Amino acid sequence: MRKMMLIWTVFSQLVSIAAFADVSDGQKLFQQRCISCHTVGKGKGVGPDLQGVTQRREQAWLHRWIREPDKMLAENDPTATALLKEYNQVPMPNMAITPEQADQILAYLANPTAEAAASGDANTAAGTTSEATSPGGSSQAHDQAPTFATRGRTQNIAFFSFLFIALVIVLVFFWVGSTTSNPQTIDMKAAYKLRKVFFISGSFVAMGILAITMSKTPYADALTTPDNVIYATAMQFSFTFSNEPVSSAQELSTVSPISSLEIPRDTLVEFRVTSLDATHGFAIYNQQGVVFAQTQAMPGYTNRLRVRFSEPGVYPVLCLEYCGAAHHMMRTSLVVK
Amino acid sequence: MDLAKKNTLAWIAITLILFPILLLLGILMRTVQANGLSAAQEWFYPFMTLHGVGMVGVWYVGAMACAERIIAKYTKPSAAISTFAIVGTTIGVVLLLVCVLIGKFAAGWYFLYPLPFKGNWPVWAATTFLLSITVLGATWLIWSLDLLRAIAQKYSISKALGWHYIGGATEPDVPPAIIISTVSLLACVACLLAGVTVLVLFDAELIAGVRNDALLVKNLTFFFGHVLVNLSLYLGVAVIYDVLPQYCDRPWKANKIVAISWNSVLAIVFMAYFHHLYMDFVQPTTFQYLGQIASYMSSLPAAVVTIFGALALVFHAKMRWTLTSALFYLALMGWAIGGVGAVIDSTIAVNSKFHNTLWVPAHFHTYMLEGLVLMVLGYYYHFVQENAKLPESWGFHKVILSMIVVGGYGFLMMFYISGANSVPRRFATYPAEVAHGASYSGFAAVFATVFFMGLLLYAIETGKRWLNVRG
Repeated sequence: MRKMMLIWTVFSQLVSIAAFADVSDGQKLFQQRCISCHTVGKGKGVGPDLQGVTQRREQAWLHRWIREPDKMLAENDPTATALLKEYNQVPMPNMAITPEQADQILAYLANPTAEAAASGDANTAAGTTSEATSPGGSSQAHDQAPTFATRGRTQNIAFFSFLFIALVIVLVFFWVGSTTSNPQTIDMKAAYKLRKVFFISGSFVAMGILAITMSKTPYADALTTPDNVIYATAMQFSFTFSNEPVSSAQELSTVSPISSLEIPRDTLVEFRVTSLDATHGFAIYNQQGVVFAQTQAMPGYTNRLRVRFSEPGVYPVLCLEYCGAAHHMMRTSLVVK
Repeated sequence: MDLAKKNTLAWIAITLILFPILLLLGILMRTVQANGLSAAQEWFYPFMTLHGVGMVGVWYVGAMACAERIIAKYTKPSAAISTFAIVGTTIGVVLLLVCVLIGKFAAGWYFLYPLPFKGNWPVWAATTFLLSITVLGATWLIWSLDLLRAIAQKYSISKALGWHYIGGATEPDVPPAIIISTVSLLACVACLLAGVTVLVLFDAELIAGVRNDALLVKNLTFFFGHVLVNLSLYLGVAVIYDVLPQYCDRPWKANKIVAISWNSVLAIVFMAYFHHLYMDFVQPTTFQYLGQIASYMSSLPAAVVTIFGALALVFHAKMRWTLTSALFYLALMGWAIGGVGAVIDSTIAVNSKFHNTLWVPAHFHTYMLEGLVLMVLGYYYHFVQENAKLPESWGFHKVILSMIVVGGYGFLMMFYISGANSVPRRFATYPAEVAHGASYSGFAAVFATVFFMGLLLYAIETGKRWLNVRG
């Protein structure tokens, strides 16, 4: 067991060393946040090739564009709007990048070759593990997986039930397989009786679990009223919170977005979740990096997700339904006070 | 050699060429997720699409090819239609390769509406993808209908579904493989018709600008996808029902329980797909509950009748352990384990935590990689060995089996742990909250490479016999 742990640790270290070795902060950030849509000198991707971009555009404009592209698009910034049109209406998402991180990315883009040379290898992969990412300003990197204590009760019950039943299946298969070394005639009537026992007991177990679990569904209860209603609108590749419903991209630019959503603890909040383009996911993670609640954001429909937060802190929200090239970047967060 | 046998050899060749390539794409994806090969990151989603459509398609046609040979023992499917299926599938695959490798189409294997119209790929790539799926769907529909026609030539529909057993009769003797194949092919026709409807709706929007209802298309898409994957497994089980008894020296006959079990599967499989839409809260709640009940119920006939039946067949049997019988036996075990993961995820309360995490690929990769894949590979080896009759080395075959089991289950365990730890599926790289997903991906890539090596050894064993039979 200790040997296995040692191998595991060594392998993890090798993976992380490979991931972080000799990469500058700006380059690392670029590879973390930008590379799924942009290249430097390798042609257009989802977004423009950023080779020489610091010469083509003003520094202040670039700095703000990196930090808050959604706001600039909402303000109809002419360059931002032209880029949106040129790149198939795929908007640059708000990646919750801090001013310091924007400086580092711009420093890398100003001289990518030198940065790469200084870092040793322009193509070295960057990790995804290091920085603070939430707009709330709280650092929430989770290099370590959730533990038994933080994983969540449902996740623990499901995972360990699975492991137990899978182990029983493996043992039964190996035991039955091993009996073939001693061939005998078997009593099929006894086997059929055993099958009947399995069927009846299996049916009772299934009905029991159904009875216990079907009362614990996440669907909104019509008899209760939420304390607070928040509208969450998804659009490739960002979420917008507002106090009013949004039904079109045009409306999105006219409503007042909630720039930093704060929710009082122990109140019942109803998120009315929809999408203006593809189907997205709306998954709220807790501070241990565990899925807390989720629903889908579907065009033409509004899903009502009710959540009661008991612990204060920053809760990241990730898109969990694949929605295109920057799907893994689509995120926002909320703060529970 | 007759045309039907030549076609089976062609399907074996197609599978053994495409599967390793698609497997390598999977290893590449896990490596990118482990923060390796960052240059390949922009290809992650196109490769994910190719891997997904390719794997579902390869194992569907693999299962169909095996079932066709089994059905041919009892009746006569059209060899010409079988050839047509090879040609149609090849055209569909070429179109798919074009739209992904040249057009970078990346809407995923179930191309959830309206993503094909909302991506950063050109319109022609989306159109070519839809054309590819249309060609594949039409080809497979004709192939399925021909197999049903062949069955109907010998058995009436009531006999083919074993209703006379349910009514208490014991004659005429209908092989279980025929009953299961009939159930599977009827399900296949239904799911392909749903798939065709989805394509018509997509085309209507593409050509005439008729906007579709996202919830309706999602229901049709998951009905199509869920049933297609499940019926592929059922066809594999039909093959095991027919071939495993030859290695156990015992018969495995149809009876009342087998008939009831597989007829109920036909009804249940159509309703279980609702579990894919649990997180769409606007779906009528009755359907959500129906989804959980049907998902739970579907495990009873499978586990209690088929798995129990297979274990009873092997228990103290005068077993001839070969690569085929061992692969079949392991496939049933993989099907059972994957089924447990699936039933757990089909619990609404659990799904609200596991939906679109890596638990989802965990369970479907289990019953595909350690279930259906082993069923088909087991039959392929059986087919070429029966015809080539070359000497076998059980010791060498145990090495192959060990690599497939250790590599496969190691790879799968990384998915299960990741899913339990809320790591999302379909992320090219992981954000800070779930950065630990990268380590699991690294381990998964290593284990998958072990599986890949085992597969190569299997391909050498089967390839030698294939060449011998082909002459």
